[in-house]
Amino acid sequence: MNKPTKSLLTFIGALAVSFSAGSALAAYPEKPINVIVPYGAGGDSDLTTRIWADAVEEELGVPVVVINKAGGGGVVGTSFVANSKKDGYTLINAGLGNMLVTPNFSKTPYDFDSFEPVVKMTAVPLAVVVSKDSPYKNFDQFVLAAKEKRITQGSWGASSSGTILANIIADQMGYQPKYVHSNTTAASMVSVVGGHIDSAVSFPPAFGPHVKSGRAVALVMNQKMDQFPGVPTFESYGIKGSFEGWSGIFAPKGVPQEVVEKLTAATIKIMKKQQVLKAYENIGAVVDFRHGSDWVADMKVTYEVMKDAAGKIKK
Amino acid sequence: MLDNILGGFASIFAVGPILGIIAGVMIGIIFGAIPGISAIMAIAIILPLTFYVDPIIGITMLLAVYKAGIYGGSISAILINTPGAAASFLTAVDGHALTKAGKAGKALDISLYSSISGEMLATLVLIFVAAPISAISLQAGPVEKVFLLLFAFTVIGSLAGESIPRGLLSCCLGMLFAMVGMSTITGASRFTFGYTELMAGFTFTPMLIGILVMPEVINTIRRRKVPHHEMAITRSPNPADNRISWKEFRSVFGTVLKSSGIGTFIGALPGLGSSTAAFIAYGEAKRTTKKPEEYGKGSVEGIAAAESANNAVCGSSLIPMLTLSIPGDDVAALLMGAFLIHGLTPGPMIFFEHPDTIYAIFAGFLITDLFLLGIAKAGFKSFVKIASLRRYYIFPCVTVFAFAGAFTAGQNMDDILVLIVFTVLGYSMRLVGLNPAVFIIGFILTPFLEQNLDQAISIVGTDYHLFFASPFSWVFIALSIFFVYSSIRMRKKAANNAADGITKNPSATTSGEAVQIPK
Repeated sequence: MNKPTKSLLTFIGALAVSFSAGSALAAYPEKPINVIVPYGAGGDSDLTTRIWADAVEEELGVPVVVINKAGGGGVVGTSFVANSKKDGYTLINAGLGNMLVTPNFSKTPYDFDSFEPVVKMTAVPLAVVVSKDSPYKNFDQFVLAAKEKRITQGSWGASSSGTILANIIADQMGYQPKYVHSNTTAASMVSVVGGHIDSAVSFPPAFGPHVKSGRAVALVMNQKMDQFPGVPTFESYGIKGSFEGWSGIFAPKGVPQEVVEKLTAATIKIMKKQQVLKAYENIGAVVDFRHGSDWVADMKVTYEVMKDAAGKIKK
Repeated sequence: MLDNILGGFASIFAVGPILGIIAGVMIGIIFGAIPGISAIMAIAIILPLTFYVDPIIGITMLLAVYKAGIYGGSISAILINTPGAAASFLTAVDGHALTKAGKAGKALDISLYSSISGEMLATLVLIFVAAPISAISLQAGPVEKVFLLLFAFTVIGSLAGESIPRGLLSCCLGMLFAMVGMSTITGASRFTFGYTELMAGFTFTPMLIGILVMPEVINTIRRRKVPHHEMAITRSPNPADNRISWKEFRSVFGTVLKSSGIGTFIGALPGLGSSTAAFIAYGEAKRTTKKPEEYGKGSVEGIAAAESANNAVCGSSLIPMLTLSIPGDDVAALLMGAFLIHGLTPGPMIFFEHPDTIYAIFAGFLITDLFLLGIAKAGFKSFVKIASLRRYYIFPCVTVFAFAGAFTAGQNMDDILVLIVFTVLGYSMRLVGLNPAVFIIGFILTPFLEQNLDQAISIVGTDYHLFFASPFSWVFIALSIFFVYSSIRMRKKAANNAADGITKNPSATTSGEAVQIPK
């Protein structure tokens, strides 16, 4: 490298340092915030994040821009944020898949500890679903049959959150389903309704339309929901664990505490707004607003459960 | 179904879709008429522009580019004897003979009218046949779909060009590149070599533009010394030579109908393609005509037969794509990618999940014909002028569009790198005689095959005989065998016909992929 270029680089470097030092001193936020959604536009995670972004934008007074960086089951977008500047201007849409499952079951350049949890907005309960023509009218019959013979169960990838949760359930009940993997839970619902597979694990946005129209039956789910009356919970069968998909906002580890505080304060405000709650109801999500150390500790527990499950598979 | 169709018309008659169709038709005619740019390249360049609009506007616009682009190819075929694609080869034979006789206007007219008749008939068949077929194909589960997809791969037979082994190799390359990234089934990273960016696989649009469009630009640079051919419509002092009269059109109308029927049928069978349709229809028209001696020397009927058949393929090639997710030819493969990008997965479910969108697209596809007729008729001269702009104006613009398009797809600089890498790959493939279109087919179909195969294996377990339990499996096995056999036969037949044509018109140059500048 010749001398002028070198001195120019030094100058630019010094400039960058002084700028970043300046922004650290100024009150957060003073420029647009980017939220990366590691999945395609229009999906559950995307919609959940967009509703949040639109609402906190008003509270924070700067634009909150949602950017989709899809691919690799969420790994591409998530690792992008893990490696980005720790200034609070790049955030990630976190969920069960990209935070708790994938780091344990696939090779990822990040893990749960690469991030600073900020808030959780929504949760959806997992359910075991069969077709209306299925011989299994309740979960007991299903388990009994599954112990005797091979039962196929739709999921979305061997190292996906669906399969991991379904395995934890199956382990406790003492059966072993044969998984049939689709790209999305919506696609495996089509296979259930079409009679090609015996059952599927799925979330309400995917199985809701089929169950409501009577083409499919939810045998058991994580928690009671008014929309699906009479479906027993996993707990009532003595199954331990939290079987829910969720959506939240994380920042890269090492962001100033001020960032977490301001974002949390803004979220507390918007979660009281009727239009925000209505928007979440419209997309079929259940608001489960959480923040703070209790929540982080709960996630740690689930993370360890996943780690154990991963260890078992690898053995 | 009728209310769906009417609903489709209702949503297409809005400012957005109509403007999209008009723009698509104009772009299609111009790009199609420019020697060196084929309809498939035009669609690849326009694709990124449609990302920001509603699928109804975006997809109808792409389809308009497709129809108009195929038609546009006949303009250069007639005026400067340079067919836009192999399918317009016969149009060049008879059309250019008419041009030399000072009857260019007549040739352009009959080509336009018969193209549009062929397209309309095929589109109507598409609209009325697609939904019932998809209702049947919905019965197919993962096991049957494996055989369905194997059947889809037989399309390579007719696309592969001269060498089947090279075609198969191109397809395998496409399959290999399709596997890069994180497997949706196992979650394992494949061929990523530790690069997180590769975990998402290769982005479709930049790859496509790199493989299909940029090599043609490089090709043009390489052939820059080849003299430029100006296109112009020669006018005859006798007004009857400059147009087609109603009486003349009526006399060839029977041929147009028959050829459109042949084109529609062949288009609906995956893998035969528009050039096969044109050759068969031309041969059939010649066999039954009263004036076989005119064929090859400027026969109006010959142009009518070839053009109506090859344009009919446009509409009906969408039938297997939309109902079975089998792309019937290279353009359909590209359009399938476009549907996927717009969040519509081609296949039987599309008629249940997005009936409004799909019927609006159908309605748009049908009225595109009317716009094509009006716009082409009104602006023949200006289109010809634009299309004969010098290459050093056109191809730099194409390059800019290609790079901008690759970037807009994902707003990601890595995609530019993907474009450059695949440009090099696409050009090298051409140099060694591998087929880029087949590569794309392999790339698009592989994820579907992999997923269904995995599901099928999970479902049947160790009872492998279940693979053959369903009659659907047997139907698709039989169809695959039949198609492999018949495409080999068709190739022989087409080769014979082509040899016939070349002896009559030795100056016409054509390559299966895109047109070459005449030497």
